[in-house]
Amino acid sequence: MRNPSSLKQEILKRWIMGLQRCTTSSKNRMSILERKNAIKLSADLAMASARNGRTFWSRALIANASIDNDNRVLAQRILGPESKRVKKFFSTSLIRNRKIRSKKILRRSCTVRRVRKSAPQKLLANSIAKRLVQKRTRILKSLVPGGEFMDEISLIEETLDYIAYLRAQVDVMRCIASAELIDRKNE
Amino acid sequence: MTVLERQRARAKWQQQEQQSYFGGSEFGGLFLEPSQAVQGNFQGLVGGVDSVLGEVAAVLVKPDLSLESGLPEFGRFELSNMGFGSDALINGSTTGFHINSPTSMTSGCPPTVAAVAPEERGKVSVPAEKKSSVAGRESFKKRKADKVQNTKVGAEEDTKDKKSKVSAEEGESKITTEQTSTKNNSSATNNRETSADTSKENSKASEVQKPDYIHVRARRGQATDSHSLAERVRREKISERMKYLQDLVPGCNKITGKAGMLDEIINYVQSLQRQVEFLSMKLAAVNPRLDFNIEDFFSKELFPACSTGFPTTGMSSEMTNPAYLQFNPVQQLVSCCGLEMGMNTPDMAFRRTMSAPLSLPETYLDTSYITQLQPSSTWDADLQNLLNLEFHQGRSTSYASQQLTGSIEASNLKMEI
Repeated sequence: MRNPSSLKQEILKRWIMGLQRCTTSSKNRMSILERKNAIKLSADLAMASARNGRTFWSRALIANASIDNDNRVLAQRILGPESKRVKKFFSTSLIRNRKIRSKKILRRSCTVRRVRKSAPQKLLANSIAKRLVQKRTRILKSLVPGGEFMDEISLIEETLDYIAYLRAQVDVMRCIASAELIDRKNE
Repeated sequence: MTVLERQRARAKWQQQEQQSYFGGSEFGGLFLEPSQAVQGNFQGLVGGVDSVLGEVAAVLVKPDLSLESGLPEFGRFELSNMGFGSDALINGSTTGFHINSPTSMTSGCPPTVAAVAPEERGKVSVPAEKKSSVAGRESFKKRKADKVQNTKVGAEEDTKDKKSKVSAEEGESKITTEQTSTKNNSSATNNRETSADTSKENSKASEVQKPDYIHVRARRGQATDSHSLAERVRREKISERMKYLQDLVPGCNKITGKAGMLDEIINYVQSLQRQVEFLSMKLAAVNPRLDFNIEDFFSKELFPACSTGFPTTGMSSEMTNPAYLQFNPVQQLVSCCGLEMGMNTPDMAFRRTMSAPLSLPETYLDTSYITQLQPSSTWDADLQNLLNLEFHQGRSTSYASQQLTGSIEASNLKMEI
């Protein structure tokens, strides 16, 4: 783990560079939603690429951005020279995802059978608690990029990491936003 | 450590036992040395149990004292060692009564245990005891301590003698410290707690010393097959990580229970994501066109330099600037420790370059603007930096250790199975 200030710096650098690439290549004027999309995507990608693709969430974030039809061009533009590396990540992560998914399905079917067999009366409270946790885990998985393919331990680890980076991203964005606002007022 | 070595150790112990048995007058002197060793080990291991044992010992020793008044040396030995619960126990057990109980145990133990041990070992995985010769000696001592306890129980009730023998056998094949809980049924609750503590301590110590496996111990009544052990390890890991998350997510400290914690985490992640969304919207609204494209400026001034090294170039370009010199001391005051300087300078540089072309493209050095900007926005940033710094430093070490254990885990599970 590195210094948060250096992390923020890295994110900021990547973000601005990505945005710059994005805006230089687009000739026509963007609408506000497009702009927002571009800003968000570039910020996310900056955050993910600042992680250097060492964690699952960052790879998944980049991969998702490149999968999406609307954003693909934009993402490639933002990522620029890194897009080749990203493609590699993307392909590897996709293969891995498939494997994990098949295993998951298998396991799920197994567990369902087992639950039916066991006596429900005794474990009622237990099973309710378990279901609550499972439900929340599912939600968390949908929130963390690439979370659908993680097991519980790695999900929590990745969530830790993701939260740290999200915080840094939010800080950077807030800084820029406040600076921008002051700019506008000055003008 | 193999069964062979174990047997050798047992033989040695038997010898000592016999010597002590036959050598009446030398008894105290002979037994003193191993007993001290046992005691040292014992205190280290079962520190918490000592108080309990001390009580029992006090009860036990009093009748023994009256019994052994015939042996002057012995009485002295006992009196001198009254302070130690375990020593008093040893005396009480070996002198007051049936020496047949330890001897019968030793005669009964080796064959059966030798037969049982390999199977049980494979399942229960107590590698600490059989890893090296030192560990073997230690376990030998532990066993001794346990046997001493057995005999003590035998002193309490003669009828329990057989029981204690049986439990000694199974205990040897299982975990030695656990025996304290199985034996002393009278003070079962206390002992179980302390044994849990000691087992935790043990596992910690072994993790520190030999980090190539995780020490898993089954408590009494817990399943010992490999699947449930692995499951238990997994659950412990999850709860450990949840603790880190709890530290990380604000307002999560008071909540107990996994579901509530997950709720809080979900909320936090969602709020952060929404913040990102909101901020990007705000930026998009503020900039009529994606206004970070002060391309000619950026590409010439900042970004070529940026690729080589952001902070240094930021500094050097700023150092030429009189304005920078002006606000520098103020900023140092703001940031209590100079750590944020690396962040602030490029930040400021960037902000200025962003603002400059809009207002005054040719006069890049806008002193009034900077002094105006600085107190409002960077103050916040600095405070946040300080907070974040603390948080990151706190977390970095724990995270490293986590990764370490995580990588280790696979090999351990193999070992256990």
